[in-house]
This record gives sequence, C-alpha cells and structure tokens, in this order.
Amino acid sequence: MKPAEAVGFSKIGLRVLLVEDTAADAELILRELRRGGFEVSGEVVQSPEQFRRRLCSDLPDIVLADYNLGGWSGIEALDILQEQHLNIPLILVSGALGDVTAVECIKRGATDYVLKDNLARLPVSIRRALAERRLHDDRRRAEEELARKASELERSNMELEQFAYVASHDLQEPLRMVAAYTQLLAERYHGKLDAQADKYIHYAVVGAQRMQTLIQDLLAFSRAGRGGLDLEATDCNLLVKDAMQNLILAAREGGAIVKYRDLPVVMVNPAQLRQVFQNLIGNAIKFRGSKPSVVQITAERANGDWLFAVSDNGIGIAPEHAESIFVVFQRLHTRTEYAGNGIGLSICKKIIERHGGRIWLESVEGQGSTFKFTLPAKEPGAALPAGTEIGSRRPDEEHTRSLVG
Amino acid sequence: MTASDYEILLVDDSQEDVDLTLHALRREKVINHVQVARDGEEAIDFLFCQGPFAGRSFDQLPRLILLDLKLPKIDGIEVLRRIKSDERTRVIPVVILTSSREERDLIKGYDFGANSYIQKPVDFNQFRETVQRIGLYWMLTNQQPVFSTRVKGQGGV
Amino acid sequence: MKNTPEVLLVDDNPADIDLTSDALARTRFPHRISSVADGAEAVAFLRREGKHTSAQRPDLVILDLNLPRMDGRAVLAEVKADPILRRTPVVIFSTSQALPDVGRSYELGANSYVCKPGNLQDFISVVQSISEFWFGCAALPQWEDS
Repeated sequence: MKPAEAVGFSKIGLRVLLVEDTAADAELILRELRRGGFEVSGEVVQSPEQFRRRLCSDLPDIVLADYNLGGWSGIEALDILQEQHLNIPLILVSGALGDVTAVECIKRGATDYVLKDNLARLPVSIRRALAERRLHDDRRRAEEELARKASELERSNMELEQFAYVASHDLQEPLRMVAAYTQLLAERYHGKLDAQADKYIHYAVVGAQRMQTLIQDLLAFSRAGRGGLDLEATDCNLLVKDAMQNLILAAREGGAIVKYRDLPVVMVNPAQLRQVFQNLIGNAIKFRGSKPSVVQITAERANGDWLFAVSDNGIGIAPEHAESIFVVFQRLHTRTEYAGNGIGLSICKKIIERHGGRIWLESVEGQGSTFKFTLPAKEPGAALPAGTEIGSRRPDEEHTRSLVG
Repeated sequence: MTASDYEILLVDDSQEDVDLTLHALRREKVINHVQVARDGEEAIDFLFCQGPFAGRSFDQLPRLILLDLKLPKIDGIEVLRRIKSDERTRVIPVVILTSSREERDLIKGYDFGANSYIQKPVDFNQFRETVQRIGLYWMLTNQQPVFSTRVKGQGGV
Repeated sequence: MKNTPEVLLVDDNPADIDLTSDALARTRFPHRISSVADGAEAVAFLRREGKHTSAQRPDLVILDLNLPRMDGRAVLAEVKADPILRRTPVVIFSTSQALPDVGRSYELGANSYVCKPGNLQDFISVVQSISEFWFGCAALPQWEDS
C-alpha cells in the first residue's frame, strides 16, 4: 500500500486510525474524509489496549482522536504514540474544547484540532499534517545523508593524510640516493667531461636537493597534524633552548642573538611547540636584512590565554601579505633570494590552531616582523605535584643565546 | 628531548686531570654543565639520587658519563656495572677515560657495557684534543637516547 | 691503535655501502672494510661461520637497522648477548631518527647511534666524525687470533 501523498485534491489513499467511542461520530468523520477526496481505509478503536494493539501491526498514516473518550482522553493516545517514538501525526477531532485545553494539546504534540461541528475542515487539516510530516522526514533523511557524507569525507581526509605521510616518508630514501650520487658525480667528473655535462649534472644536483627539502617539509607538515595531541606541562624556556640547538648550523653565517625571559610553563605537545619556535626563530634569522639578526621572545597573559610574541629586526613583511604567508607553499621571494619551500609558517599555524590558539603577524616592511600567537592557559589536571602553578613564571634573568657559528 | 641541568658527569679522582678535562670541554660551546664526582660512591649517589643527592630526580640524568677506572671507595668497573644493570640509567653513554694501559681493563670495560674506552694521552695537548673529540662525537654526532621533557615542578626541570 | 682497524659494514643497500666506504676513504685513518648485506650474514661473519671462516674479526661494526633476513636489532641483540662478541663496538648507522628505534638500540646494547644525514656533505662529515673518534681516539678491543 503506497504511503499517503498530499498532491492537490486528487484521490489519495489514506490509512486512518480513529480513536472514537461513538459509532455515529466515527461514521460522520469517515464520510467527511471520503468527501474530501481521500480513499479511506480506516479502523476504529475505543480503548488504550485496542489502540496499542493496532499500533503493533500496520501503522496508520494519521490518527484522529476524540478528546473525551469515556475512561480516557485522546491526549493519552498522543502519549502512547510518543512513548513508542512513532512519528505519526495526531489530530484531535472533538466537541467543544476550551482554548486553553486546545493550546495545551497542541503544546503536547497534537498536530491540530478540529471541532466535530466543523468537520469540513478535517481534510485540509489532514493534508497539511501529512505534508508537514513528509517535510520533516525529508529533512531528517537529508541530515542523515549529510552526516554520512561528512564522516566519509573525514575518513577520506585521514586516508589522504596518512598517504601523504607514508609517501613523503618512503620517498626520502631513494631521494637520498639520487641526491648523494649526483653530488658525487659532480665532484668526481667536474671539468673532466665537457661544459655541457657539468651543467646537466649541476641541474640534477639542484633538482634532487630541492626534492629533498620539499619532501622533508611535507613530512613535517604531515606530522603537525598527525596523532593525538598528548599535552604535557612544558617549560617554554627549555623548549626555546632546545629549538635553538637545531638552528646552530643554520645560523652559521652572521651571528644571531635570541633573547627570551620568563617564558611560562604551558600545557602543550612539546615536540610540536618546539617546531613552532624553531620555525619562527629560523625565519627571523633567514630573513634578516643587512644587520645581524636580533630576535626577542616574550609572553604575557591576555584574556585567559598566553600571548607569545617573536619579534625580529629583519626585512619585514608588507601588510597585504600578512595572511597569505600562512598558506602552504606560499612564498614571497624567489629561490635565488631566499631558500625554502614556504611551508614553515603553515606548519606553525596548523600546530597553534590544533592547540586552540591563533597566530598572526604584525609587521612593517623594512623594519622587522613580530609573529604573535596565543595558547590557552589550561589546567594540567592531577599530573603535577601540589604547589606547582601552571602558568607560573620562573623568575630568571633574561636569557641571551648567541648563535655565532 | 630537553636539556638537563647537568649534561656530563665526570668521574675522576685526579684534580689535575679533572681541571684539564673541564678546560677542554668548556671550549666546546655546546656543553654547559659538567658535574664532577671524585670517587665511585659520589658518582653512584649522584646518578641514583641518593645520599647527599637525594633531592635530584631521574629526570635530570646526564647525557654522557666520563668514567675513570681507578677510583676510591667504589671502583670504576663496579660503577659501570651498576649503571649498565639498572634500567633507569643503562642507556646513558659511558665512556671510560683512564690512564690504564692494561689490555684486560680494556676488555673488561667493553664486556661490562662501556660504550667506549679511551686511554688518557700522556701529552698535555693530545689529552686536550682527545677530550674535545670526545665531546664533539658524543654530544653532536651521536644520537642521544631518550629522556623525558616533563616539567616536574619548581625546582629545576 | 696498533693494527689497521677492520671495519664491518652491514647494510642491504649497496649504494650506501659504497657511500660509506667512499666517505671513510677520505679520512686520514687507514682501515680495511668488509661488508655484508643482511643480518644473518653479519652474524655468520662475526662468528666466522659458513663461508666466513677466514674472515677478519672486525674491530668496529657499523650496522644499519632495516636489513633483510635478520634485521639490525636482532643482530645487535645476538652480538651483545654473546660473551665474546659483545665487546665489539657496534655503531648503529641508520636514516631513522624515530625515538623508538634509538631507544631500543641503546637498550639492546648499541655502543653508539648515528643518523645517516640526507645530504652528501653532512654524510661525509658524520663519517669523518665517526672515524676521528673510533679510530683516532678510542681504544678498540684487539683480537688475539687474526
């Protein structure tokens, strides 16, 4: 039996369950429905037990219930429908109901009420109830579809990230071979073949090295989004110190000075935050102007967060680029001007945002840049011994580390 | 991995050799702190956070141990044996730095798990150069074993 | 160091064996190199079994981790459990920087762990540093029988 469809006024099938204790009234109602264009197949029940029993077999499209039913009320039929989570509209067809009662019934979930001395209204009311229910069903189906698609998308994203990670990781080894041996070729045969050969080998060497840094950057980017966040109470002073260990070789040309003081202890993933400091300090050193790089790192409380600032005296960035620099592979300079693939800042952004913070740039071109980021000042839970304050500062003298290589 | 307060533990009872070693190590900018123990017992107490060092924690283990063999109270091989048989300390690289030229000390050292064994050069300049090379290799080239980065409260990390 | 040191390179990648040998050749220390391409053969070589009965006992082993047939970790475990072989210094030389690999190697008794750098210049420097220390500084256990 096909479900009821409210399509204009053509004859449509309608399964009605009538809760009515007066036979005459029941007959009147059914006749009105037929007159209203429905092909009715209906059943009449009188008691709650009969009502429940009917609900166990074929479900009706609609329930029409009298308010006063001898021992019980039509509103209790509504309760039974709701208790069984049946999404079937119920219309009260009743003698005079006070407005208060009527409103009460609607509030409790009755779709409509129609007075018995105005039955002509009933077909319209039914059509509207069915249309509403269909709309409701459609919307719920659409929501389920959306949820399913969203979770598929998420799974697909995770697969892609996993793939990107594995691919970058596995590509490193063959790339290492190509890079090493093209360089050995260059070394061994430079000047021994012809100028053309030297040039070809040189391009191969440069290409291989570019691929290597690209893969390493991709790997770092993948890693920034992988795995659980694993927060730990971490002393930022030590983290900065660690990050600079990795930059000693990078800062070989021209001395770089990094100053930091009283950085707080925060709940972060230490390896990831170290990466953030490393990238920001590394950039400050790389994009220095004619003078040696001086980098300052500070932190202060602001609105329940920690606000970090990493300032440098380098070449600065024009304000129109302030957002695009965080986009992956976005670069502002040619490779002959500055090396790099443009992934460092997008990694910082990914990491900071994963931690619930924000990162942005304040800069004046030619005068240096300040990168600011926030980190929520979280409570560590029971992990730390009593007396340890999170967000406490270690009252230290200012640390100045010199990276003169 | 985070830097600990004391990066190298130097265990040697000879003041002269300690001075020379410290001087050579300080020329390497990567090394910040050297803890000196004058005998085997002091070394054990320091590493195992006991006796006068009861306030220390296992989060602050040194990254390298330079160990002489002839030590008062507890000798070098015994110190080595204890370091390498305790799972909290056994991954710390231990480089024996001794004036002994005995073959059997060499074999014993490696047998008991020393990461490496160096015979102290007699010549002053060579000694200094050797210590520098040790520092460079073990602190830069060698990959450190895993230590914790957890913050453990106010007193040191 | 009295005699010319014998080095055993264990690596399944012939390109890496060549690279390492090349880098060692650039150092100022004379040395002799043997190489094997899998873990089982490494152990046989060290025990002087099978086709390696007349092998020279190495004074230093440079061992990669990912090897066919028997991987580097298993080789390390076996060597360091053997009462005679355990005195041989073993330097793990691997591209892996993964903490579990590093940690596990030290736990199994590796004397040292060095990461293979990605670029050639650093690779050569690192091998230079290895030879400066192990040939120029350290005293290596000598084998009576040769």
